[in-house]
Amino acid sequence: MLAELVQHVVNGLIIGGGYALMGIGLTLIFGIMRVVNFAHGEFYMLGAFLLFSLFGTLGINFFVASLVAIAAVGVAGAVVERVILRPLRGQAMEIPMLATVALSVILQNAAILAWDPSPKTIRHPFSPIPLVLGPIHVVAIRVFAGVAAVALIIGSHFFIQKTRLGKAMRATFQDGEMARLVGVDVDRVYMATFSFGAALAGAAGVLLGSIFWVYPAMGDQAAMKSFAVVIMGGLGDFLGAIVGGLLLGVAESLGAAYISSGYKDAIGFIVIILLLLFRPAGLFGRRDRLR
Amino acid sequence: MKRPPSALVVLAVLAVLPLILDDYYVHLLIMAGIFFLPVAGMNLLLAGGQLTLGHTAFFGIGAYTSGLLALHWGVSPLYGMVIAAALSALVGYLLGKVTLRLRGAYFVLVTIGFAEVIRLIATNWIDLTQGPLGLPGVPPFDLGRASFTLTTKRQYYYLMLVFAALTYALCARLLRSRFGRALVAVRQNESLAESVGVSAYRVTLVAMVVACALAGIGGSYYGHYTMFLSPEVFSFYNTVTMVVMVVGGGQATVAGPAVGAVVFTFLPELLRMAVFYRMLLYGIILLLAVMFMPRGIVDALQRLRRRTPPPLPESTAPPVDALVGGVGAAGRGDTALRVQNVTVRFGGLTAVDDVTFALARSEILALIGPNGAGKTTVFNVITGFLTPTAGRVLADGVDLTRLPPHEVCRHGLVRMFQKASVFPERTALENVTIAGHRLGRAGFWALVFDTEAARREEAALATRARGLLAFTGLADRALEVAGNLSLGEQRLLGLAIALGPGPSVLLLDEPAAGLNPAETQRTMTLIQEIRRQGVSVLLVEHDMKMVMGVSDRIVVLNQGKKIAEGRPVEIQRDPEVIRAYLGSGGGSGEADARA
Repeated sequence: MLAELVQHVVNGLIIGGGYALMGIGLTLIFGIMRVVNFAHGEFYMLGAFLLFSLFGTLGINFFVASLVAIAAVGVAGAVVERVILRPLRGQAMEIPMLATVALSVILQNAAILAWDPSPKTIRHPFSPIPLVLGPIHVVAIRVFAGVAAVALIIGSHFFIQKTRLGKAMRATFQDGEMARLVGVDVDRVYMATFSFGAALAGAAGVLLGSIFWVYPAMGDQAAMKSFAVVIMGGLGDFLGAIVGGLLLGVAESLGAAYISSGYKDAIGFIVIILLLLFRPAGLFGRRDRLR
Repeated sequence: MKRPPSALVVLAVLAVLPLILDDYYVHLLIMAGIFFLPVAGMNLLLAGGQLTLGHTAFFGIGAYTSGLLALHWGVSPLYGMVIAAALSALVGYLLGKVTLRLRGAYFVLVTIGFAEVIRLIATNWIDLTQGPLGLPGVPPFDLGRASFTLTTKRQYYYLMLVFAALTYALCARLLRSRFGRALVAVRQNESLAESVGVSAYRVTLVAMVVACALAGIGGSYYGHYTMFLSPEVFSFYNTVTMVVMVVGGGQATVAGPAVGAVVFTFLPELLRMAVFYRMLLYGIILLLAVMFMPRGIVDALQRLRRRTPPPLPESTAPPVDALVGGVGAAGRGDTALRVQNVTVRFGGLTAVDDVTFALARSEILALIGPNGAGKTTVFNVITGFLTPTAGRVLADGVDLTRLPPHEVCRHGLVRMFQKASVFPERTALENVTIAGHRLGRAGFWALVFDTEAARREEAALATRARGLLAFTGLADRALEVAGNLSLGEQRLLGLAIALGPGPSVLLLDEPAAGLNPAETQRTMTLIQEIRRQGVSVLLVEHDMKMVMGVSDRIVVLNQGKKIAEGRPVEIQRDPEVIRAYLGSGGGSGEADARA
């Protein structure tokens, strides 16, 4: 019984790592740019499909292909910021939001044309035989995904805390006008933020795409999940997104096992509604703070 | 635009259309009409600055409610529709109650989540909904009796036209009424709206309930028209369609949702020619539309024909006595406002430290002090924008300490903000009319049915607003959009707005900031005139000439503490005040809390 529980928690944490990556990207973009990015799921999908093509079709080394896929999604994010979002800056919140909705329709349908709608798998180079740690069984690709997610989260943390660009991002988050006055290149910060957020979503796509099916509409559910994560953690809260992501992964895994697999995808949102009733500013109750 | 005739022409054209179009196009028009209902509701919410991305949930709740009632219990769809509307409205009310306190992006995300939960319930509650298979055989719509069952597309079309026309009229009324003005005010400047007595929470909640009821009606009709229910109605794609219609058509305009519903019902159909590329093209068109006409089709058209504003009807401005004072909560007792032992701490920083003072009836009291002394913080505490760590604020014996700004306004306290604070996209006249919100008595239904009383009240509010503009010297700028006024004019408009609710206590935060000497002089005269009408004035100001010239008494704050209180001559000689201002204490005032 206990072993089974631990097994579900471990599975949940691994998936939750992917959710956390998605959530961090979304929360940074929202916190700094005040844009709710509805194309976030499509960046996730792009990451998975690029890996599929680079590794599966072109036969490039899996790890190299993963890194290239993530970087490519980051570049796509930078282009989107420059071409679509920058001209819309200063408009009411729903305008850039609607632009990202349009972008999500475009990317999803472009993916259907490029890769056809049928679900695909990525034949990753890991052994399918599960690693056994006491009572827990985990296949190698999941261990890799979990470890990689943790590494990326820690890397992001250092990027934001320690680098010049990361500091500029935090300054812009706190007060965009003030940051501009003290010489922060806000245009550059916005582009970096969107690019970075997109790349994190792409990374989640690379990692979870190696575990699950890859198909053009895969971003829809993933985007829903990241919205849940971001509300749980508090909009714009970096740490909140990590905890929210892991929590959602575990809650889903346990919910599917002990309650109902049909309602698995609803758990995040039910938690949110409860949370709003009791802790309206997110798990940590700190609004408007970037940690 | 001459509204009534053009509305009739449109209605006439719409009535003739099904006679000349074939069934396929009639079907599309019906679908456009069905979508118009929820979209018109979203538009109301959006007028108040709230974007819902879960509106399809209420559409679906409506569809399932009356569909299931008719299918399982033989309830006539007409009654089913009423129940559907009521249920959607109720669910919308509950969701709004939880989420509209947060608003903004939270509201957006929570509504998405809500729709997703409802979709999953509809998919998984197999006993009730047959899950993804859907429910075929939903009875067609009837008018309460089986003998009045709709059978042809044309019949569905004409009934749809009735619903759509009623919805259009309802939304037009609401948007142009006091309620609609309050919504727009919340969207354009929430703090200012709250300060003149508009509860952002209340008005957006009412909009939410109306929007959800409309969605329920649209959904119910949809179910009986297509005679099939499936969890697909809850899909996010449906919501996207609705958002595209409202924003693409022209949000916060009256005609926008209708235009959007028609255009974006037909557009995907026209794109069918593109077969595989259809949705891709749709996305691209959508993106281009957002980029190049972010305010929507209706707004773009209005820009093309460059409307000239209608001339302002001549009216005799009411005497100033009737404008200022008189309307506000009639003062009792000698003390208008009492601030008792107020302390405010931000983290470890004490911005206001145990401050006590009282404002006498019809007094002009100035609150001065070096930068960071805590003056604006005190203002924020008094007007309900900030809850103090300790202490109380009393007006006429009523404890205001924990009341939100719009309630504080109800007790007759209104502030003018430090920065130029107006509703930037509305005319000066509309700005001041909005500020009269609190004086309106007409309820929601009176506004909807445009009763005689509501109309008289509306006229009275407009007259009053014109009078206040005349009083502040802005009469000839009444039809200028507030954002286009000069800074000085915007400050005067801010004063007119603050007088809008008919305050008994007026709080002015640096009214002379950014004004030239002539404007400062005029403001001083106005303040004295306002006081002469029996309004008590609390003034924060740096311009010492103004402070010394206009105030009866002065309270001096330094580093959050009250260091002196007295008549201007006394204050000018007070050694501690001089020290605070000349900074022999070491200029630490600058390092203090920036209030």
